[in-house]
Amino acid sequence: MSCSNLTMWVSSKPSLSDTSSLSFRSFISPFQLPSQSSAPNPSRSSSATQIHCGLRELRERIDSVKNTQKITEAMKLVAAAKVRRAQEAVVNGRPFSESLVEVLYNINEQLQTEDIDVPLTKVRPVKKVALVVVTGDRGLCGGFNNNIIKKAESRIAELKELGLDYTVISVGKKGNTYFLRRPYIPVDRFLEGTSLPTAKEAQAIADDVFSLFVSEEVDKVELLYTKFVSLVKSDPVIHTLLPLSPRGEICDINGVCVDAAEDEFFRLTTKEGKLTVERDVVRTETADFSPILQFEQDPVQILDALLPLYLNSQILRALQESLASELAARMSAMSNATDNAVELRRTLSIVYNRERQAKITGEILEIVAGANALV
Amino acid sequence: MTLNLCVLTPNRIVWDSEVKEIILSTNSGQIGVLPNHAPIATAVDIGILRIRLNDQWLTMALMGGFARIGNNEITILVNDAEKGSDIDPQEAQQALEIAEANLRKAEGKRQTIEANLALRRARTRVEAINAIS
Repeated sequence: MSCSNLTMWVSSKPSLSDTSSLSFRSFISPFQLPSQSSAPNPSRSSSATQIHCGLRELRERIDSVKNTQKITEAMKLVAAAKVRRAQEAVVNGRPFSESLVEVLYNINEQLQTEDIDVPLTKVRPVKKVALVVVTGDRGLCGGFNNNIIKKAESRIAELKELGLDYTVISVGKKGNTYFLRRPYIPVDRFLEGTSLPTAKEAQAIADDVFSLFVSEEVDKVELLYTKFVSLVKSDPVIHTLLPLSPRGEICDINGVCVDAAEDEFFRLTTKEGKLTVERDVVRTETADFSPILQFEQDPVQILDALLPLYLNSQILRALQESLASELAARMSAMSNATDNAVELRRTLSIVYNRERQAKITGEILEIVAGANALV
Repeated sequence: MTLNLCVLTPNRIVWDSEVKEIILSTNSGQIGVLPNHAPIATAVDIGILRIRLNDQWLTMALMGGFARIGNNEITILVNDAEKGSDIDPQEAQQALEIAEANLRKAEGKRQTIEANLALRRARTRVEAINAIS
């Protein structure tokens, strides 16, 4: 009804300009808005979506967008705080892994001459590969979980092509649900992470991997996780966990071997069947240890004590990096969501205000029309 | 000559300061380390570590790992370490009882090994508390 009134008044607008009284002038100038907006409206529809709904619906939508914005903003802040904690955990773990690598390096040098056989370094022809897939526990973090799962899928396809058997050890709720829905992918074990990865969780994974490898059920263990590069960048990577072997050696049997050689701090490998440590980036000065280091026990026993520690710390680091990447991904996803919500809210309020104005104007026009009819 | 002790776990640095003497339980029995000890490398068993600061003895429960001694610098790398004073006695005692019960219930080789390990961990924690009092 107001609409018909409006068109009537718009068409008779020239006549209005002289007949209208002063008191109405202030209301009339806003009334011109609808006629103006009708022109820019179609052009706007190309940039933003056209919104068709009543005033009440608009108000509800604005409220809901406002709530969503609050939630996403809170999630972003929480993720930011957690990223800091995750980073702290990585920093706290650094002295351990650094001195561990240093010790391994030293001991390895001493053991060069002795002929030792350590189960974890045994390179066998690969028949079956275990993939440890580290995902997050929760969604709303952009493509984080998807990326790592896609990486796992492509790796599985590669292994299939090579005619190799495989099994998956899934860590994290998202990965668990994904693999549960696909029963044709053999999964050895489902593990769930907690808010902050601890040595205990890493131990659980390490134990599993260790027993699989030592019992010769699998001949190679690969760790798929998301490497934390920076707050805005993280890469899903594949890291060969076992056997601790030189790069390239397993490739002969396996075809493709994607070692996480890219900017890895330290990597323990073996050269000619002996343990070596590769230091790719930083070479912490190896404190000159007395060359006459005695071994309290058999070298084999000492390596037996050391290698599980090494395995453990590698897994723990992967978990920590994965968590840090997840949080960073969530942070940026939520920051984008907040931006979008702000934008949406702005457009919605503009539409709402315009509609409201149109309604008021329509009512005034009705009154004026009524008054005019009486005169 | 001062002796420096550094106990590291994957999560954190548990101890990093000067000590007078330590007694460490290794795979081949307990060893005492005083300043100017010969450089050795040893595997560390699940057991307690005693630390002497001046005239005071502290204990710590170590959950297996590795130690390197040399240059008056002791580095102990372990899966987990807890200071005796940080362990809740009641909780530790309960854990010990649970571990004992589990061992009695254990069937098969693997379970027995696991239960035994758990029991040793629990016992070490209880020992670490009792050594103080």
